Amino acid sequence: MIETGYLQVLAAAALAALAIVLAKVKSIPVGREIGFGTVRSFVQLVAVGYALEFIFNTRSFWLVALSVIVMIVVGAYTAAGRARHFTGGFVIALVSITAGSLVTLGLMLALRIITPEARYIIPLAGMIISNTMNAGAVTFDRISSDLKDNRLAVETSLALGKTWRQASLRFYRNAVKAGMISILNFMKTVGIVALPGAMTGMILAGASPLDAVLIQVIVGYMLISSVTIASIIAGELAIRRFFNAAEQFVG
Amino acid sequence: MSPCHDTIVLETRKVGREIKKNGNTIRTVDDVSYTFNKGHIYNLIGPSGAGKSSLLRLLNRLDEPTEGEVRFFDKPLAFYPPTELRRKVSMLFQTPYLFAGTVRDNLHFCCCDLSDVKIGQLLTRVGLDASFADKDAEEISGGERQRVAIARALSLEPEVVLLDEPTASLDPSSSQTIEELILRLTEELCLTTIIVTHNPNQAIRLGGETLFLVKGRLVETGETAKVLKDPDTDLARKYINRELR
Repeated sequence: MIETGYLQVLAAAALAALAIVLAKVKSIPVGREIGFGTVRSFVQLVAVGYALEFIFNTRSFWLVALSVIVMIVVGAYTAAGRARHFTGGFVIALVSITAGSLVTLGLMLALRIITPEARYIIPLAGMIISNTMNAGAVTFDRISSDLKDNRLAVETSLALGKTWRQASLRFYRNAVKAGMISILNFMKTVGIVALPGAMTGMILAGASPLDAVLIQVIVGYMLISSVTIASIIAGELAIRRFFNAAEQFVG
Repeated sequence: MSPCHDTIVLETRKVGREIKKNGNTIRTVDDVSYTFNKGHIYNLIGPSGAGKSSLLRLLNRLDEPTEGEVRFFDKPLAFYPPTELRRKVSMLFQTPYLFAGTVRDNLHFCCCDLSDVKIGQLLTRVGLDASFADKDAEEISGGERQRVAIARALSLEPEVVLLDEPTASLDPSSSQTIEELILRLTEELCLTTIIVTHNPNQAIRLGGETLFLVKGRLVETGETAKVLKDPDTDLARKYINRELR
């Protein structure tokens, strides 16, 4: 069992130092980034650790809600960066991430998989939001590039009397699938190619591997649900931005 | 002239379109008024950037005019649901896009319930053998692709066919085949055919009427032979002489 303290963290920083040395030796210009990232991640995570301690101890619903809202807003802002060639990416990302998160967390509470405590809600919300954020970003990216690259295909369909939905259906489906591909791959290879972070963390913290596996299975199901919801909503709302009521391609 | 030539099918009334590009406002079509009759061929001709394709796109509402109106059978285009309008005013692009699959799949794209007999008729109409239906759409030549695209548009039984430089990427022999096809279909089906071309010789071969555009405006209009052989304006004369050289 590892005794975790600042001394161990300092020792682990030697690994980051090794990466910096290797980058320097091979003249790969990432030394500053690794150094900055090492310090930044330490500061951010320690700050989050203190914040979580505080939130868990106060047991305030509002603080939990505020934490989740902050995570959603930051996630939406990040995903919206991929919304090229269309406007309203932030709002679409906000809606899709919120829907994916709330529906999944709500169902987990309703089915009594978790209890409404900060120690469950916050870490699970964090996992859901980061995954839905990535799914939304990939969906946005794929829709933007596919519609731009296939303008002729879309306009040929429109010019032959198809609706915007018919003209863009395959691009919508491809984009939603692309948004889900990461979690689909994860579910295919989990436990074989890699042990996921939550499970590894639990085992390192002393939990029995079987308990850790059961939690990981729940996390996997939670993520596939939230990512599917978020990708579908992100794709559905984003693709409408490329067309107007007159069935014209305005992307 | 047969009775099919009497009706006005399309009409533009002081049509204009402005677009924003890199922060600048560009007028692509400017104050264009013209009537298009049933069973006629109309050539849209002019230098690059003259607004020929832009005007064409306004005629089946792929784009919206910012001024004036386009009318189809004496009703504003907005009167018709866009999908219904575009089935009656079909448009073909310079590079015909065929969907993955066979030629038959492409003909089914517009009308799922087309019988094999009807598919055979459509292919024959554009000068292809009925057995062509089973060919992979990816593996046919440029001229054949254009003909399949025309057959696909014809499956909708349109009143108007808009052609945006349909022979621009074809060899002379394929171009001639497409021109002959356009002439024959216009006559046989009493279609209104509006074709964008850079090539005055092609316009002369197709006949009908010609609309000469410069910077989005109609500079000369009338019988093709008159406009292209004896233009009234210097602009048209210089352009035609250069293109014919």
